[in-house]
Amino acid sequence: MTATSGGRVTGMSESATSTMIGAGGVATPIGHAPDRFFKYWLIVPAIFLLLLVGLFPLIYSLVVSFQNITMMEVDTSFSGFIHYAQLFKDARLWQALLHTLLITVIALPLELVLGLLMAQLFLERMPGRQIFVSLLVLPTVISPIVAGATWRLMFDNRYGPINQILGWFAGEPMTILWTVNPYLVYPSIFICEVWQWTPFMFLILLAALSNIDKSLTEAAEIDGAGYWRTFFRIVLPSIWPVMAIAILIRGLDLVRIFDVIWALTAGGPGTMTETISIYTYVQGFQQFETSYTAAIAFLVIALLTIIVTWAIRRMGLAK
Amino acid sequence: MTPHAPLLRRPGTQLTLRYAAAIALTLFFIFPVYWLFIISFKTPDEIFAFPPVWYPESIQFANYRVLFKDGDAETVWNSLILAGVSTVIAMVLGTICAYSLVRFKTGGENLAVWIISQRMMPPIAIAFPIFLLYVFFGWVDSFHGLIILYTAFSLPYVIWMMRGYIEDLPLELEESALVDGCTRWEVLWKVVFPMVRSGLFATAVFTFVFAWNDFLFALVLTRTEVITYTVQVTHYFGGQSNFWAKIAAMSVLGTIPVFFTVATLQRYLVRGISMGAVKG
Amino acid sequence: MADLKITNLHKHYGGVQAVRGIDLEVASGEFTVLVGPSGCGKSTLLRTIAGLETPDGGTLEIAGKVVNYVRPRDRDIAMVFQNYALYPYMNVFENIAFGLRARKTPQAEVETRVKRAADMLGITQLLERLPRQLSGGQRQRVAIGRAIVRNARLFLFDEPLSNLDAQLRDEMRSEIKRLHQELGTTMIYVTHDQIEAMTLADRIVLLRDGRIEQAGTPLDLYERPATRFVAGFLGSPQMNFIPAQMAQSGGGWAVKVGDGTSLALPRARDGLSDGRPVVLGLRPQHLTRANGSSRPGHQRLGVTVELVQPTGSRAYITFPLGGVPTVAELESHDVQRPGEQIDVDVDMNRAVLIDPETNRVI
Repeated sequence: MTATSGGRVTGMSESATSTMIGAGGVATPIGHAPDRFFKYWLIVPAIFLLLLVGLFPLIYSLVVSFQNITMMEVDTSFSGFIHYAQLFKDARLWQALLHTLLITVIALPLELVLGLLMAQLFLERMPGRQIFVSLLVLPTVISPIVAGATWRLMFDNRYGPINQILGWFAGEPMTILWTVNPYLVYPSIFICEVWQWTPFMFLILLAALSNIDKSLTEAAEIDGAGYWRTFFRIVLPSIWPVMAIAILIRGLDLVRIFDVIWALTAGGPGTMTETISIYTYVQGFQQFETSYTAAIAFLVIALLTIIVTWAIRRMGLAK
Repeated sequence: MTPHAPLLRRPGTQLTLRYAAAIALTLFFIFPVYWLFIISFKTPDEIFAFPPVWYPESIQFANYRVLFKDGDAETVWNSLILAGVSTVIAMVLGTICAYSLVRFKTGGENLAVWIISQRMMPPIAIAFPIFLLYVFFGWVDSFHGLIILYTAFSLPYVIWMMRGYIEDLPLELEESALVDGCTRWEVLWKVVFPMVRSGLFATAVFTFVFAWNDFLFALVLTRTEVITYTVQVTHYFGGQSNFWAKIAAMSVLGTIPVFFTVATLQRYLVRGISMGAVKG
Repeated sequence: MADLKITNLHKHYGGVQAVRGIDLEVASGEFTVLVGPSGCGKSTLLRTIAGLETPDGGTLEIAGKVVNYVRPRDRDIAMVFQNYALYPYMNVFENIAFGLRARKTPQAEVETRVKRAADMLGITQLLERLPRQLSGGQRQRVAIGRAIVRNARLFLFDEPLSNLDAQLRDEMRSEIKRLHQELGTTMIYVTHDQIEAMTLADRIVLLRDGRIEQAGTPLDLYERPATRFVAGFLGSPQMNFIPAQMAQSGGGWAVKVGDGTSLALPRARDGLSDGRPVVLGLRPQHLTRANGSSRPGHQRLGVTVELVQPTGSRAYITFPLGGVPTVAELESHDVQRPGEQIDVDVDMNRAVLIDPETNRVI
């Protein structure tokens, strides 16, 4: 060991490689890291409130679903699995599920493809682009219930502009009952959904496309790759992480769709457009089948928690 | 003779085509909004004219006057209080929670996944047990009941977004403040909050808009006292179309604030609606 | 009394041992530089001193008080960070005053102290500006100003100059040296740059793998390195390491390198034996163009120049010695082009012998 200028002793400690406190025979003062509870204080209020919407509904639904509470009687004794057995026999529930899936699998690809096409259209610079983009955003930010109300006005059989415009083309007045006609009620819902949410996809995909490193597509062009080849090999993989999140957000929105349908058809005609959310509402707040609704709510929350958690982990969203 | 590109490949033709497509698309997406606004300014005769009146002769505010006279416009005020108060609370609680998740990795990835998964839950499945609970507490149709629910439902979004903004902060600033004599709490108020203020503002606006636009919670948990404008709009839905003017005027009242706030936030729009997937 | 006393300090992150058993004392007013390659634990050590990390074992004393679990704010330290850590939403004055305000210093005193610090650093005209309106060097001055305004007992610097360009770095280096002389405060300075370490330090602490490799004055470490690592780390260009064997010649010792060249050793060491393998360490500066008669302890070699790297006044030439490319730092006019045959004097007085097994200097 080299002697230091002021005679102060310094040096290597070869005695201890252990991580134990007080390793090497040196006494460590008793104490704790300062502020070690600070990080928990920070999350306590938020977690408490989150448990209210995250855990309480799940547990309470489970409890109520094993009781027998309806508009007629309040029987809080354990009634077994009767409500869950009922679920399997409830044709209207299964139809509601089917309607929900139908809306999701049609509206989601429509919004995605249209949004992507629009993003391609506006990707290259053109004068006034920002104005177009700002205007196109508007449908996405208004309340879904207002969107539904707006299209209710648009679709009106007599005074709505849709029929009027169709009448111009047909050369005779049209009085199509858009939201009542069984063949047209789904297309009406899709038009409203696509109108409101295609701009959402468009905005996100436009940003994702703009963020692609230009040298990648230019290199592909020099290598002689055609448009489609470049698109599928370079553009799509580049925007996929963002696109996947957009699909996840929109997909889950569609699965729980309520407002637009409530405003346009309220589930009608009959129960033709009843989705799982509408059906749950009808059971709980119009028919007052409290325990049965709780069973539905429990299943929906439990199922979605599993699916959502899986999807989030799969996409590495939490990292 | 110089060779000409095929007509469709010429830059001028392409730009014209793109403009044509852009204008057509914009018309499709804007026309319903235009129609909504224009109806709210029409007289009953104009509304129920056949063929429809594409633009009113004169702008008149009678439809709005009726809303204010009947007290229906108070529902917009209710929406403002509910969305405003819940946003403020959610921003404070959510931001400090996000700070803990980012800086101290509290709860690890599991807690983060659980929090964001709460954002994806169907409101009706949550609203129903909450409704039963509120009946028990006597909180149905009360401001505090809805504010608590909106706050809780906004939290995952706030935490998620603020997590992203806080991750962008340099750690050194906070460490420097600690060394310079701040407590942990002072670091939060004096360094972290000022540093993320633009993210804080953008997130607050989106949180506000989500609560403002809510319909289902308000439908389930209100009766008469704290009805929001979205619920009020649906009250005008009926067999006869007599309430068209009210539907339109009430919708416009509820839509204008949203347009305004979002217009000020163009820069944060994509990050806000993509839940941080795209950083603007 | 020592301002800082560290005894057997340990710190690990997860499974990684960042600091493993460090003992260190820093006297009042001393400028200590912690230097080493990245990952050697120097930054962790500094952050532990600052209180930004809590030690896992050992004790840390500042001014005689054990501070293992004391909050950074209560340690009476000031710290300058690598990226300046200026608050972008505060002007320069408020940035410098931040620490005083956090301690509820009266406004009048804040003003005089900030003014004095700004004067000292020549940034008085910048007090109203925001950090983003400043150049890199000005930001660094503000960051230093924020530290000195506090009159803390201990100053910590965490690679403060590594983000500056070469010219500014030289300027700020002398500025820091001047400040230390003016203030006389105890300073602990972390860097990976050996030139900074050499020029600034009263004492260098060279770390490697979480342990102290060697500590001492810059000249101590440069002239009398304890290990091959220290010998190689300090000095530029790096010391030449040539595998060799000891040989007895006449009354003394000689070092025989691979190609049979024998270099007489003027000063004997303990534990030498005939045929013992060693590594011969020669600094490029200790190889000079032969001129006149050989001085005592110098050995003259005829070499063939393979590579010439001019740097202006000096030129680095490379030639083979004992099968190893060897670098010598000569005057630029000493050598013109590769292929040239020249005579080089090797200063064997300052040669270092290293045991190839333990890598310790013999």
